[in-house]
Amino acid sequence: MGAFWQRVWALSAKEVRHVMRDPRTLYLALAMPIVMLLLFGFGVSFDLEHLPVTFVDQDHSTSSRELRQRLCAGDQFNDVGSWSTPSEAEARLVAGSAIAALIIPVNFERDLRRGRPIQLQLLVDGSDNSSALQVRAKMDASVRALGLSLASGGAAASTLTPPIEPRSWTRFNPEGRSAIYLVPGITALVLAIVAVLLTALTVSREWERGSMAQLFATPVGRLEIVLGKLLPYLLLGTLAVLLVLAVGSWVFNMPFRGSAPTLALVALLFLTGMLGQGLLVSVVARNQMVATQVATLSSMLPSLLLSGFVFPIANMPKPLQVISAVIPARYFIDALRGVLLRGNGFAELWHDAAALALFSALMVLMSTTRFRRTIA
Amino acid sequence: MTEHAIQVDKLSKHFGDFIAVRDVSFHVERGEIFGYLGANGAGKSTTIRMLCGLLTPSGGHATVAGHDVASSALSVKSSIGYMSQKFSLYLELEAEHNLEFFAGIYGLYGKRLRHAIDEVVERTGLTEHKHAITSALPGGIRQRLALACSLIHKPAIVFLDEPTAGVDPASRRDFWRLIRELAGQGTTVFVTTHYMDEAEYCARIGLMVDGVLVALDTPEALKRTWVPGEALSIEGRDLHKATSAARALQGVRAAELFGARLHVRYADGVPIDRRVLTAALCSAGAQVEGMEPTEASLEDVFLAVARTSVQNQESA
Repeated sequence: MGAFWQRVWALSAKEVRHVMRDPRTLYLALAMPIVMLLLFGFGVSFDLEHLPVTFVDQDHSTSSRELRQRLCAGDQFNDVGSWSTPSEAEARLVAGSAIAALIIPVNFERDLRRGRPIQLQLLVDGSDNSSALQVRAKMDASVRALGLSLASGGAAASTLTPPIEPRSWTRFNPEGRSAIYLVPGITALVLAIVAVLLTALTVSREWERGSMAQLFATPVGRLEIVLGKLLPYLLLGTLAVLLVLAVGSWVFNMPFRGSAPTLALVALLFLTGMLGQGLLVSVVARNQMVATQVATLSSMLPSLLLSGFVFPIANMPKPLQVISAVIPARYFIDALRGVLLRGNGFAELWHDAAALALFSALMVLMSTTRFRRTIA
Repeated sequence: MTEHAIQVDKLSKHFGDFIAVRDVSFHVERGEIFGYLGANGAGKSTTIRMLCGLLTPSGGHATVAGHDVASSALSVKSSIGYMSQKFSLYLELEAEHNLEFFAGIYGLYGKRLRHAIDEVVERTGLTEHKHAITSALPGGIRQRLALACSLIHKPAIVFLDEPTAGVDPASRRDFWRLIRELAGQGTTVFVTTHYMDEAEYCARIGLMVDGVLVALDTPEALKRTWVPGEALSIEGRDLHKATSAARALQGVRAAELFGARLHVRYADGVPIDRRVLTAALCSAGAQVEGMEPTEASLEDVFLAVARTSVQNQESA
């Protein structure tokens, strides 16, 4: 066993020297995740502002005008005009100049004063589903709040309370900031790509240069090569994780509410899995060009589309849900959200750690067995 | 087990229908420089790779340093040094870091590692290049570094697969001086080359043609067996016109052009008559300016062996 680790150490030390001599690897591992995090974090925002809304005021009262003014006073909505009939407002939706139309019925002010339930109709352009959802949610919340304050300005405020009213309270991200939602996903995505790329090139480079043939003429074993390649990049990957989390915390005010050791464990397992995937690509491809392409595609697409980062897993068709079960980013994102936002520890996240450990073990095993020691 | 450093018995390697090496048998003594010659694709590298445990033989047996290459490849690898045809060190690293890497791979560490590096660096004359980046070293020094890496663990046997390919003549001479010193200290050297002048340095030579070991002996014995008789090297003009005239002479075994010269070889025991030869050459349109006896070279041997095996194949 001593000789085993001795050889792993020699391989790792050689790999570290390679990295020190090659600034591109350091850039890929340390600078690229930060650059991508900043680009995505600032560039991609799911928060919608200044949504164009048109109105049909059938009441023509002080209260209806005030509702309209106060709705559009903030950053959320822009008033793009008022019409006397719903069909005119609907024409705005068709033309695309408004995303929603709010219809304020006759007797709005009277019913408000008397404390009667009022039904406002909201027409929403549903052609862009995610915007439509946000408009509905924001309009709902704003009208409810404004209705209360308008009514309380009136005489019969005390009679307003409806018998049953659901009050939702969004925890962990009450402001609904998309940075908070995006940073864990981006962290996983970026680290997945970088980790797979790091190892995908190391083995194929040795194949191309013929040094692999030289290695095979020595007593070094396949597992030793795999571990010797894995360990130095695991160290580099850990540095990248720390950097990304630090930037997430400073620049995007990401909270850190849960257990740091649990996150460290999950991150190490995730890195091992992705580095192992890169090794597998490298072992099979034997050629740097092919390895780069396979590595990028096999890490980026699943981590982006099937991890629950952009599309919730519960909404996916069954076959895709099954596939997503073997995407490591899925578990890492879940664990990141858990530790950073929900304040989770090992008790809640052990299944993520277990899934990632299984994936890592599988990758190391497969890269070792697919590693052909003989050369033609 | 065996007293020989390398013992090969009916070793074969097939790649599908293609037979790269067919029933090859030989042995190499301890401390011997054994040359393995042949054209490209004759099966030299395939043989070396089987002996180093890089390829599994399709048939036959081979033991290297007492270990079976098929069943104990790992023990074989620990006791040999291998220098591959393609330069395969890490170009971005310092020369010394390459040495450290291979020392570590062969299980050296600490003081023993430093000592081994110092020794091999001195032996191969690399002291002043220790801290140079490998890619900045000239070809001849790189070859010496590659040799040093394969010697770092003091193997009993080194396999050198065309170690001097693409290296300038002066560096090749230096390299062979090293190899002879190595063998003098008891290391067995198994070397492939296609430089015939280098093959003269070998104690014994095996000649491969199309996967078959067709000749095996000392350079002198090979020359006696394959290129018997005396030969003249002729200087002159338009000698190419007279090649067939020379061949037609009685007692002449072969006439070949070597550069601007014509080599005429007589059958064993036939006395040379220079006047008859000169007359024949002149009447064929050549001008003779001088002639002198010449020794057979390994190139002659190689050509003779290759010609014979082509004839054998045609008659078979």
